[in-house]
Amino acid sequence: MQQVLNGIFAGSIYALFAIGFTLVFGVLDRLNLAHAAVFTTSAYVGIELVADLGLSIWLAIPAVLVTGAVLGLVIERVAFRPLKGRHDAHFAGLISSIAVGGMFLALLQARYGPDTRRFPADAFPSTDFELGGVRITLLQLVILGVSLGLMLGLAYLVNRTRLGRGMRAVAENPHAAAVLGVNVDRVTATTFAISSALGAVAGVLLAFYVNSAQMTMGFNIELKGLAVIIVGGMGSLKGAMIGGIALGLAEVFAVQYVGSSWRDVVAFGLLFGILLLRPQGLFGARQVREV
Amino acid sequence: MLGDYTATLTLIALTAIFAYSFYAVLMAGQLSLGQAGLASLAGFSATVVMPDSPVVGLSPLVVGIPVGMLVGACVAFLLGLPVMRLRGVFLAIATLGFAEMVRIVLINAEWTGGAQGTSVPKLVTPGIAWGCLLLVAYWFWRLGGSRFGRGLAAIREDELAARAMGVHIRRYRMAAFVTSGAIAGMYGVLLAYFSRFITPDDFGFAAAVDGLVTAVVGGSLLFLGPLLGSGFLTSVPEIQRALGVEAGWIRPFLSALLLLVVILFLPGGLSSLIPRWRTPRLDPSIPAPELPALPPPGTSVLTLKGLGKAYGGLHAVRSVDLELGSGEILGLIGPNGAGKTTLVNLISGLSVPTSGTGTVLGIPLGPDGQGHRFARAGVSRTFQHSKLFDRLTVLENALVGAHVVTRPTLLRRLLWLPSARRDEQRALAQAGAQLARVGLADRAGVNAGALSYGDRRRLEIARALAAHPTLLILDEPAAGMNHVEAQELSTLIRTLAEDGITVLLIEHNVRMVLETCTRIVVLSFGEVIAAGDPATIAKDPVVIEAYLGSDGPADSRV
Repeated sequence: MQQVLNGIFAGSIYALFAIGFTLVFGVLDRLNLAHAAVFTTSAYVGIELVADLGLSIWLAIPAVLVTGAVLGLVIERVAFRPLKGRHDAHFAGLISSIAVGGMFLALLQARYGPDTRRFPADAFPSTDFELGGVRITLLQLVILGVSLGLMLGLAYLVNRTRLGRGMRAVAENPHAAAVLGVNVDRVTATTFAISSALGAVAGVLLAFYVNSAQMTMGFNIELKGLAVIIVGGMGSLKGAMIGGIALGLAEVFAVQYVGSSWRDVVAFGLLFGILLLRPQGLFGARQVREV
Repeated sequence: MLGDYTATLTLIALTAIFAYSFYAVLMAGQLSLGQAGLASLAGFSATVVMPDSPVVGLSPLVVGIPVGMLVGACVAFLLGLPVMRLRGVFLAIATLGFAEMVRIVLINAEWTGGAQGTSVPKLVTPGIAWGCLLLVAYWFWRLGGSRFGRGLAAIREDELAARAMGVHIRRYRMAAFVTSGAIAGMYGVLLAYFSRFITPDDFGFAAAVDGLVTAVVGGSLLFLGPLLGSGFLTSVPEIQRALGVEAGWIRPFLSALLLLVVILFLPGGLSSLIPRWRTPRLDPSIPAPELPALPPPGTSVLTLKGLGKAYGGLHAVRSVDLELGSGEILGLIGPNGAGKTTLVNLISGLSVPTSGTGTVLGIPLGPDGQGHRFARAGVSRTFQHSKLFDRLTVLENALVGAHVVTRPTLLRRLLWLPSARRDEQRALAQAGAQLARVGLADRAGVNAGALSYGDRRRLEIARALAAHPTLLILDEPAAGMNHVEAQELSTLIRTLAEDGITVLLIEHNVRMVLETCTRIVVLSFGEVIAAGDPATIAKDPVVIEAYLGSDGPADSRV
């Protein structure tokens, strides 16, 4: 039972990261590989806010959310908008986002140096609860609550608001959306901002969870995020959420029953199997090609 | 002086070889990230099989490199069997997943030395590295002008159109993938015996991304691309070091910035800076080759019996019976959504009927009917929304069209056999003759993407004609043409029929259909509602009711 809960806590962070990833893909059909750099950046920024400015973690989370949104706007402006209408926008977007991500990481190194950073010892309230023999820390509850809250908020935004309608229209057909009066550029920029804000919160939550931030933390989550959005179905928000939590659980059980050195095989084995059996993912819609 | 740079020089060669393994698939429009895993498997295999002492006086690498390439190619083939049907980022992520699994399995294996890896002697000299690179570059240089290379480029530009031109998509994509595996294998072995050390972590996600970045920065349209990309990306940190730029964050920042600048401002990569000085050219002195005669007039070309196609509950085409004989010009008309294009897709093998039977030039329509077989049998078509290979020249487009009437030339080109050159020139003459037929001969060297709308429609027809078709299917060829152009097209179609080509013409310009065709079939809601010669159709009240509206004049444009 304890293991299941641990899996859910880690999984909710994966899910939050993957939802940001899949949001951009679903709406704009682009893979933003700078997403992981936003994740890393926000972890460092979060630590700085708490450790150096003495902010409480309650204020640090919204601050990081805003930082992430700003980074998202930068990514869209620098790496994606200039490619609009280009024949190879797909490949080029991958590469330009890698480049922007690399610049973010270089700037991080300039400010914080190459070493691992940690939160000060007393940053978190050390409250924990006992529930039927299971120990849950307040921090874990915060992680779960923030993740679920943001995911539900996003679901509301996409399905119920005017902005969400614009996003779905752009996803369906950007030209038609533009003709119908949707400001495609603004919707695109907003999508990137939301996506990166979610990725940023995921980053700071993971930094809370493992109490550290390193330069390489993005690579690992990027791979897992790709696995999750494929398993859940490219562009499917529900799929990314369920896929993320499923991955968290699968990892916990893999460590317990197979050994920790095989943990990461689970994600990719799952990914591979899904791609072969059901390329559109568990919750993705099959796309039909037209002549 | 050079001594200081030997390591850099070797590294440029190795990085370029790895980039070629990405180029091999990028040139066919495939994005694969599994090469790092293949390189890793090949490198570790080489450490097991390579002898310690020289083999017949040569470096043990003469055993190691071929073994590595073989391992890379075989594993790529096995991996390709399931993943080749994936496209775009799905293929990229599946192959990335494979590479990660390889990495973890190798870390957990005994024979690899686990995460610590294996120590090996340093055997790779700059000479060996550059020798291997030249071999790989030579392969891609000769590939460029071959039929195989054009087929891959066609798949990259438009897979469906390539299939309709008779390119065997699955085989070509697999061949590109296996080539990529072999080159990745070569890289794995070279890297291990250059750095004296091989660990599974050398071949992780970051390595795959670096390889892809190098290939894309160099550009995937010219065989020199990977070499340029490698030279650029490997020397940027070196130049910064020589200029005294501080280590730490500035170097990676500048490298990333340069990468961004290249990708944003040079769409075709660095190789787009090099003019294409050897695009194929027309030599008017060579006559078009003699091709086998078309079947005599009256031979059955097409027989459909109760053919139907349903998408879920929607019947796009419903029990169509149709006979078509050689030399006929059959017009297929009907309102929008009548099922005309669906019917054409069925006949050209691009989709599979859900009911009924049919044969086209002796090939039964059915689940195992593949587009390229129909093209081989002599079915050629144009598309309603033109599907040209935009980044190829007009002449190259027509050359792809001639795919089914030409022979493979890659192996003979590698050996510089004169027969390959003869075959290429025959193909050029065949393609050029069709361009002349539609009046595009003087635009042969222009990129298809730069053509005007009317010229695009003409090129579609020339490309289809280059296949020397028995049955030519024209899907709305006159759309967007003015009256005069439509007249010219009508004349052209009638000359084609005089040459013995059977034409199936789908068109909304009813006047043109009435003037051009020998017989007309009218489709409405997926069913044939009338058939007969133009005079009968023009007067048929059912047709006027269904298609033209009850009070429309018979010759108005719809």
